[in-house]
Amino acid sequence: MTHEIDDCGILLASVRKSYGDKVAVEDLSLEVRRGELFAFLGPNGAGKTTTIKLIVGLLQPDHGVVQVCGHRIGSNGLAAKAQLAYVPDQPFIYEKLTGREFLYFVAEMYGMSRVRRDDILDRLVALLDIGEFMDRLTERYSHGMKQRVVLAAALLHEPSVLVIDEPMVGLDPRTVRAVKDIFVEQTRRGGTVFMSTHTLDIAEAVADRIGIINRGRLVAVGELHELKQRAQRQHSLEEVFLQLTETGANE
Amino acid sequence: MSSTATAPTRPLVGLLLRTKLRGIANRVYHTVDEAPVRLSAAAILVGLVWFGLYQLFSSLFGQINNTPLEATVALPLVFNFFFLAMLIMLTMSNAIIAYSALFNRAEAVYLLTAPLTPRDVVTLKYLETLALSSWSFVLLGLPLMLAMADQAGEPVFYVLFIAFFLAFIPIPGALGLILAWLTARYVPRKAVRWAVTGCVVIGLSLILVAVRSMQFGHSGAELWLRDFFRRMSFVESVFLPNNWVAQGIDHALYGQLYESLMYLLVTFANGLFLSWLAVMIVAARFDRAFDRASAGGASGRRAAAPASGGLAGMAFWYLTTPLRLVAAKDLRTFLRDPLQWSQLAILFGLLALYLTNMPTLRLEFGQTNWFLAIPFLNLCAVSLILATFTCRFVFPLVSLEGQKLWLMGVLPMERGRILLAKFAFSMTVTTVVAVAAMVLAAIMLKLALVWTCIHLVITISICFGLCGFAVGLGARMPSFNQPNAARIANGVGGTVNLLASVALVAATLGGVGVATYHSTLSPLRSLPDTSTLLLCGAAASLSVTSGLLALRYGARHFARAEI
Repeated sequence: MTHEIDDCGILLASVRKSYGDKVAVEDLSLEVRRGELFAFLGPNGAGKTTTIKLIVGLLQPDHGVVQVCGHRIGSNGLAAKAQLAYVPDQPFIYEKLTGREFLYFVAEMYGMSRVRRDDILDRLVALLDIGEFMDRLTERYSHGMKQRVVLAAALLHEPSVLVIDEPMVGLDPRTVRAVKDIFVEQTRRGGTVFMSTHTLDIAEAVADRIGIINRGRLVAVGELHELKQRAQRQHSLEEVFLQLTETGANE
Repeated sequence: MSSTATAPTRPLVGLLLRTKLRGIANRVYHTVDEAPVRLSAAAILVGLVWFGLYQLFSSLFGQINNTPLEATVALPLVFNFFFLAMLIMLTMSNAIIAYSALFNRAEAVYLLTAPLTPRDVVTLKYLETLALSSWSFVLLGLPLMLAMADQAGEPVFYVLFIAFFLAFIPIPGALGLILAWLTARYVPRKAVRWAVTGCVVIGLSLILVAVRSMQFGHSGAELWLRDFFRRMSFVESVFLPNNWVAQGIDHALYGQLYESLMYLLVTFANGLFLSWLAVMIVAARFDRAFDRASAGGASGRRAAAPASGGLAGMAFWYLTTPLRLVAAKDLRTFLRDPLQWSQLAILFGLLALYLTNMPTLRLEFGQTNWFLAIPFLNLCAVSLILATFTCRFVFPLVSLEGQKLWLMGVLPMERGRILLAKFAFSMTVTTVVAVAAMVLAAIMLKLALVWTCIHLVITISICFGLCGFAVGLGARMPSFNQPNAARIANGVGGTVNLLASVALVAATLGGVGVATYHSTLSPLRSLPDTSTLLLCGAAASLSVTSGLLALRYGARHFARAEI
């Protein structure tokens, strides 16, 4: 362990994780600061989801340390989990509950009072436009409707750290815009957003910093202009991404 | 910004259970609202089977009570064996379901990222597993216990016997939970396939050795029986839970209420303690086990088999190419899932062991009327095992396509033909195994050729009927959102299919039973007469026609279904 962060952010220090013989993440050190929107990019199988699972405590590192808001995942995972929200690429939702019942369940799990729950929920319902189908069983929702309810569930307890895997898949343009605004608002209020995505336009548009992982190693991290300088490309993130991940693709 | 949410200071199991119950209530409400006939039919069928079982057990215990000596000697041992078998089967069933619930489901991932302690998650999943794996045991076991309480004659025994039953269930549940955790924690993923294979082979070998050691010797029936009881005395060990229940029931039947209560308390206390211990152990080391189960290291890489070639191509040579492709896909999926095929191997392995040991009974078939009764009982056993197999493995096939219907649904093929491929797959597998078992039985029992042929025709027709039911009803009552085959089989649709399958087997074998009885009254070894053949033919036709109707019923619904 190199150092700790007191602020509400994410720290990975010399993290290694393997699946049997296959090394998924190697010597990964990364700090995502409070109030920062961090976009995590990489080709398929590069180690993005493994990194996310390490952050939210679903996997344990073979080596190294993972901290969320100063709480070490593993030894003090519960305190860390109370501060974070995680939306996977294929989110889970209880199919035999209505959207409202599911959100009430989440609120109670995080120990929220009814007044506070209703207050925040009203805001999220309007923001994500989920009021129309909130009282229907979630098994009848489309993918986009489920995604919106899951986002509402993730934001309900006002997490300090939001970890989200492919946030825009299945969302209509209006909701994509709303989600972008939510991310920006989240960071403006001092929260941290860690977003893994293949949608480079969104990363380019909203991320404060961008990290690129390839074959389990963090190959670049910095603001967009820093990455462009490093890749000696001045045009788009797509070109930068393609150049920095070229090695893996060619091998 | 800092979240105001804090780590929970109180257990949240209550909230989780309330949420689960809310989900069940919603499901019931919507089923009542949308498919009241389906629900009523399922409830009536369950009630009928339940009542039928109760009547059967009542008459059985009545018979035993009329022969006091046999009852005295046999009953405690029978109960000991029954609960020992239940202990082993429920432990395995709980282990499989607990593994899936804790280490293999999206819900577990969700709960683990929520501010819940591992103890909350493990407790919830333990209770859920217990309910899922034991409900059919409770449903079918309660009539047994109530029928026994009838014999005891006192109203208090009804409560007492049911209490015994319920107190027993957490014991295999806790053992299953520990087994699931040990598998996830210590058995690498790559080795699970080999571990399951090894367990199946070792288990069957042990049973073979045990059965061989019980062979009927040359010493005569009485000595053999004594020797048998002596060998089986291990099931009466005071450390085995099956013995606590058997002793409790035995004492109750003799009117020794306090002794019986003591055994109930012993069972109950051990069930609670084991449950607590299992949850504490698993919860304390859950993170590592989950990590290991998720990252267990199998590459899953294997050489690609030709789409419709190899074993699958041979097995389904009679199908057109598109149907062969679907059937071959199902066969490969089945063979590559050790949890699926191992259960089939155990089921039919046990049957094969039983059949190969038939000669050790040394029944004098030539001088008694048993020469047809024993083969008929074998036919019953094979048919009921087939019904179990089709309910557990064939019924979920259509539902399991739920997530893949983007492909199946748009193939340039009528949807009904997809069902035909499912039917062909299940019919081929069940027929091969069942015919092999029946031929083995016929050889062991030196059954006359004509009766062997009759039994084979009946077996194939039952395979046809059962597969038709499982595929047809599976298409009529699918659970497209449920990825777990065991859960699909345990659902409302699965229960309806189970009951319908048992009814079909009973109706078909009823006809064959009458024909068999009629033949035993004829001169020994004579050929079956016309009425016997007609009766057997009618029974076979009934099974085939029922299967065809069920398939047609399912296909019509499946073709119209909006998925």
